[in-house]
Amino acid sequence: MATETLTATSTSDSPSQVRVLLSTRHPDISLPENPGPILVNTNLRRYALSTLVNTLLQSEKPIPFEFLINGTFLRTSLDEYLTANGISAESTLGVEYVRAIIPPLYLASFEHDDWVSAVDFLSETSPAGKWAGSAGARKSGQERMLSGSYDGFLRIWSMSSEVLATSPSASNGGHTSSIKAARYISPSHLASAGLDRTIRLWKYSEDPEGFTASISPQVELYGHKASIESLAVHQPSSRILSASADHTLGLWSTKKSDAPAAPTSLLPSSTSQSFKRRKMGPSTSTPQRGPLSLLKSHTAPVSHAIFAPNDHTVAYTTSWDHALKTWDLPTSTCVDTRSTSHSLLSLSALPALSLLAAGTSARHITLIDPRASATTVSAMTLRGHTNAVVSLAADPESNYGLVSGSHDGTCRVWDVRSSRSEKEGRVGESLYVIERESLKGERKKVGGEGVKVFDVVWDTSVGIVSGGEDKRVQVNRGKGMVAEKGA
Amino acid sequence: MASQPISKKRKAVTRDSPEADEVLLSDGGDDFETALLNGIQSQSEDEIEEEDEDASSVDLFEGDSDLRDGGTSEDEIASDEVPSDVESDADLTQNGTATLGGAAKGKQDVEELPANFQITKDANGNPRYIYTDIDPVYDSDDSDAPAGQNTIGNIPLSFYDSYPHIGYDINGKKIARPAKGEALDALLDSIEVPKGWTGLTDPATGKPLELSQQELEVLKRIQMNEVPDEGYDPYPATVEYFTGKTETMPLSAAPEPKRRWIPSKHESKRIMKIVRAIREGRILPYKPAPEEEEDEVEVKRYDIWANEVARPDHPMNVPAPKLPPPGYEESYRPPPEYLPDRNEKKAWEDADEEDRDKEFLPTNHVALRNVPGYEKFLKEKFERCLDLYLAPRVRRSKLNIDPESLLPQLPSLEELRPFPTTCATLFRGHDGRVRSLTVDPSGVWLASGGDDGTVKVWELLTGRQIWSVKLGNEEAVNVVRWRPGTEAIILSAAIGDHVYLIAPPIGDPEIESKGREILDAGWGYAANGATSNTKKESATQWTRPGSRLEEEGVLVKFSLRKTVKVISWHRRGEYFSTVCPQAQSSAVAIHTISKHLTQLPFRKLKGLAQSALFHPSQPIFLVATQRYIRSYDLSKQELLKIIQPGARWISSFDVHPGGDNLIVGTYDRRLLWHDLELSVRPFKTLRYHQKAIRGVKFHQGGLPLFADASDDGSLQIFHGKVVGDMMENATIVPLKVLRGHGVKKELGVLDLDWHPTQPWLVSAGADGTCRLWT
Repeated sequence: MATETLTATSTSDSPSQVRVLLSTRHPDISLPENPGPILVNTNLRRYALSTLVNTLLQSEKPIPFEFLINGTFLRTSLDEYLTANGISAESTLGVEYVRAIIPPLYLASFEHDDWVSAVDFLSETSPAGKWAGSAGARKSGQERMLSGSYDGFLRIWSMSSEVLATSPSASNGGHTSSIKAARYISPSHLASAGLDRTIRLWKYSEDPEGFTASISPQVELYGHKASIESLAVHQPSSRILSASADHTLGLWSTKKSDAPAAPTSLLPSSTSQSFKRRKMGPSTSTPQRGPLSLLKSHTAPVSHAIFAPNDHTVAYTTSWDHALKTWDLPTSTCVDTRSTSHSLLSLSALPALSLLAAGTSARHITLIDPRASATTVSAMTLRGHTNAVVSLAADPESNYGLVSGSHDGTCRVWDVRSSRSEKEGRVGESLYVIERESLKGERKKVGGEGVKVFDVVWDTSVGIVSGGEDKRVQVNRGKGMVAEKGA
Repeated sequence: MASQPISKKRKAVTRDSPEADEVLLSDGGDDFETALLNGIQSQSEDEIEEEDEDASSVDLFEGDSDLRDGGTSEDEIASDEVPSDVESDADLTQNGTATLGGAAKGKQDVEELPANFQITKDANGNPRYIYTDIDPVYDSDDSDAPAGQNTIGNIPLSFYDSYPHIGYDINGKKIARPAKGEALDALLDSIEVPKGWTGLTDPATGKPLELSQQELEVLKRIQMNEVPDEGYDPYPATVEYFTGKTETMPLSAAPEPKRRWIPSKHESKRIMKIVRAIREGRILPYKPAPEEEEDEVEVKRYDIWANEVARPDHPMNVPAPKLPPPGYEESYRPPPEYLPDRNEKKAWEDADEEDRDKEFLPTNHVALRNVPGYEKFLKEKFERCLDLYLAPRVRRSKLNIDPESLLPQLPSLEELRPFPTTCATLFRGHDGRVRSLTVDPSGVWLASGGDDGTVKVWELLTGRQIWSVKLGNEEAVNVVRWRPGTEAIILSAAIGDHVYLIAPPIGDPEIESKGREILDAGWGYAANGATSNTKKESATQWTRPGSRLEEEGVLVKFSLRKTVKVISWHRRGEYFSTVCPQAQSSAVAIHTISKHLTQLPFRKLKGLAQSALFHPSQPIFLVATQRYIRSYDLSKQELLKIIQPGARWISSFDVHPGGDNLIVGTYDRRLLWHDLELSVRPFKTLRYHQKAIRGVKFHQGGLPLFADASDDGSLQIFHGKVVGDMMENATIVPLKVLRGHGVKKELGVLDLDWHPTQPWLVSAGADGTCRLWT
């Protein structure tokens, strides 16, 4: 068929043809024998090229491919691409082909009683699962999902939509207000934080059959004076980062022995005037601890904090004051500040590109190079959301993939290679838009009312997991990506 | 010769015939009656005389005719000879008729006699009959008398009784007597009357006179007073030979002949009058030409081309201008190829007058006399005069300015970013209108109050309701305001005439206890100082709102007796002012938190107070009444300035954080920018809303933004940059209209507030929602 195509192209009335050198980085889909440069018609598009590669591979089931030329996806015909980039048709074009991302299919919903503000996953590929190593390794189908809700409860879910365990209520050492962040530290340890300004560490125990489980409070960490917006955990060094609306970044230890004593003024019992709180005070005594340090440099609420992907002594934070700051944790100093022009609400690292993706209140995602050598603040802008981008997660398989959750009620999957140049720099467009399943058949709401996405996690084994204002966690599986990687 | 006497004789006979008499009678109708009378008399006198008279009359007649003719000898002789016969004949017939004729005939005779003559006296004194001339009219000759006519003349038929015949016909043959029936026959005849029977005997034939059918009908018609002639139609249908109707196919295409034309008599009279007047010289038809006066003073004119001789072309030689010879087009009847067709004609008519290639349109006139007058004559004359009058003598340089350059340089919207453009969050939860809302100084919380009497605190970004308290059931929360400063979270709310101070339990224990501390500090002062302070202002008592509310965080309550509409805090958070528009003298009150003290700074206030504000940097207090804004110096306690926005009803105003500029929103849909250094009048008036403006706010966090909220459901965002340079005016650029709030019962957006640091705006709508715009 390839020869047919070639003969057809040679006899067609459009004489322009280009030499194409096909290559791939994935060995499983590499061509059996190198065909060398192939002369193809320049009016071919992605689909025709994909057919061509499938023919060369002699695969019985056609695999959809995407084509990368000079690091960007081919979104037009070859002819238009050559014209747009000023490449002569006589030169040989190096074309790299990768598997196309298949639309993330809706899998399941986990219904809650209140808005879901935080989700996390425990699987063999999740950070907590990796840190636990083979000891805590979870087999496929044994994944656990952690969700934090505005009603103040943490819930552990099995993949069959069953609640295995719920955290205790406020009177029994639980959160006294809404939870805004929750993370797995290890398969048996959880961390959560919220509007009650405390970080709580929990012990999670599950009987071997996996039918009964319990969450018991372990440590309460006091120190923030306003609600905690996000948590980042690093189990190997037993450190927790917290971003708070009191403009500080908190550094905490998960170990009771490491942590200093809690500041007494912030303990709930210290407010004699707080009748209600006193009455509802915890009956069970949970150890209370303070922060290792509170890092003050931001001038507005800190929205997100992460550890640097390769170095747990470095942290990045974003804040409403438009700045992205780099912190050196051992010395508790701010080493670098990158100022953008919008409030930053979320942060995620793209380690292979040494870029940080920051979601803004101005409805886009900015890719920032945090390295001191970087000359420009914003490397790229991803546009498409219609409301604030409050959550980001990197694709665990691809170095270029990214998913974002926004208050407009959608999650968008991005590939940073799919971009074009505009006058304000490189601008990317989303590959896929994941709508909320609860909104099906309805018009999009103003301001994402009722469907806002608050947190999104991308896990290799499960897929894209997002929780939001529609009181449910929605799981979408990127089937093509996930399944074929394993194959 | 032979014929003449006959004719003469006949003439004589006919003259005496009844028909001739009839004619005479009709001619001399005047004396008919007298003559008739005479005739009757003469008839009654005697019959013998009649003959003499007749004879003499014939004589006379003859003589007369002689006299009249003055005739030839032959005629005389002939006349002399023949009349004797004639006389005798005439006599015979006359007599015959007289005797034979019935009453009717006799009467005829009697009638005819006097009509023919006049009796005069001759020379001898004898009566002389002078007969009138006989008019030889048609029918006077009876030569066509029927052949079988009896020629015996006018004698009674009884003369022939003894003969077997009754007379002679015209050929002299005897006319045999008709056989007479027996008496019985006569009787039968009398009984069985045949049609047309008259009972008379025809004198001419001697047969019984029978009337023919025709004659009977004639008689009948006469009886019926109809015209005797049968075919006569007294009312024939009018044949309209001449009519006003135009016929499609006229009988004749001939034009009306001149003879048909009847000149108006009246007009001819008038013309004749004029003609007469002209003839008599009363009217002078032409004005006598004025006597030519040679004007010697006149400017001499020369025709420089009068004696022009052809010269070679030279710049100094101006030849006589040569008019082009007229073309065919200019003819009154141009050849058909020069005539414009319909499209050309239309194109010419549609074209602008200046764009036409020729000034006239070739037109076909059948005759030169049909060429109309030049219609543009007057216009062209006028324009020529106008040209001469207005003709510029100097080339006028046109003002060559690009109109774009006259427009003010507005910065592009991209440069003015950031500003709110879209609705990011909806805050749904209030039952009824949301009357007021405010973002807390840290920028994390949003407080709102509405018609349902509750005050709610929301998480700004997510729209999550964090805390809520119900302050009243009937009345609406009119205003909620945070106390400035981040060291404590204190919310003030006004519901009805009550003002509440609240420390909502949303902060950490330190902040909460600080807030309680601040609010509770005044209790002791109030207890101690109230007794010493006997001033009127202290009449307002600050109290605890009761344990239920205290548990919720509502710590202080006081009443101002009238509905509180506006609360505004001093920047330090120590004082706040309230405005109750309905309270006349106590409309504006200033409250001190630390002392729980209420003061009424104005003993008397002109106008209805609308709003009050503390100046952001100076000890100045601004109070807006319906039409003016007054600024007072708090330290010197005096009036500084009266700002006159020129509006009918001020709804709200705000001071720029710099302190020198003011925006005023009015119920008459205007947004006014005042530069306090410049004038007391508005520097700029922005009239973009369709409905009343409810609220105006400057961004207090350093961004050059301000916004207004209107009842038309929209918010408008403006860029308002104030530079420190006194020489430069503020830049005001409209940026964005934010639509989304529904309009309910004529109310749209009721309140708005800016985020303290971000370019975010929150708005409270009558539709029960608050919105965050980013």
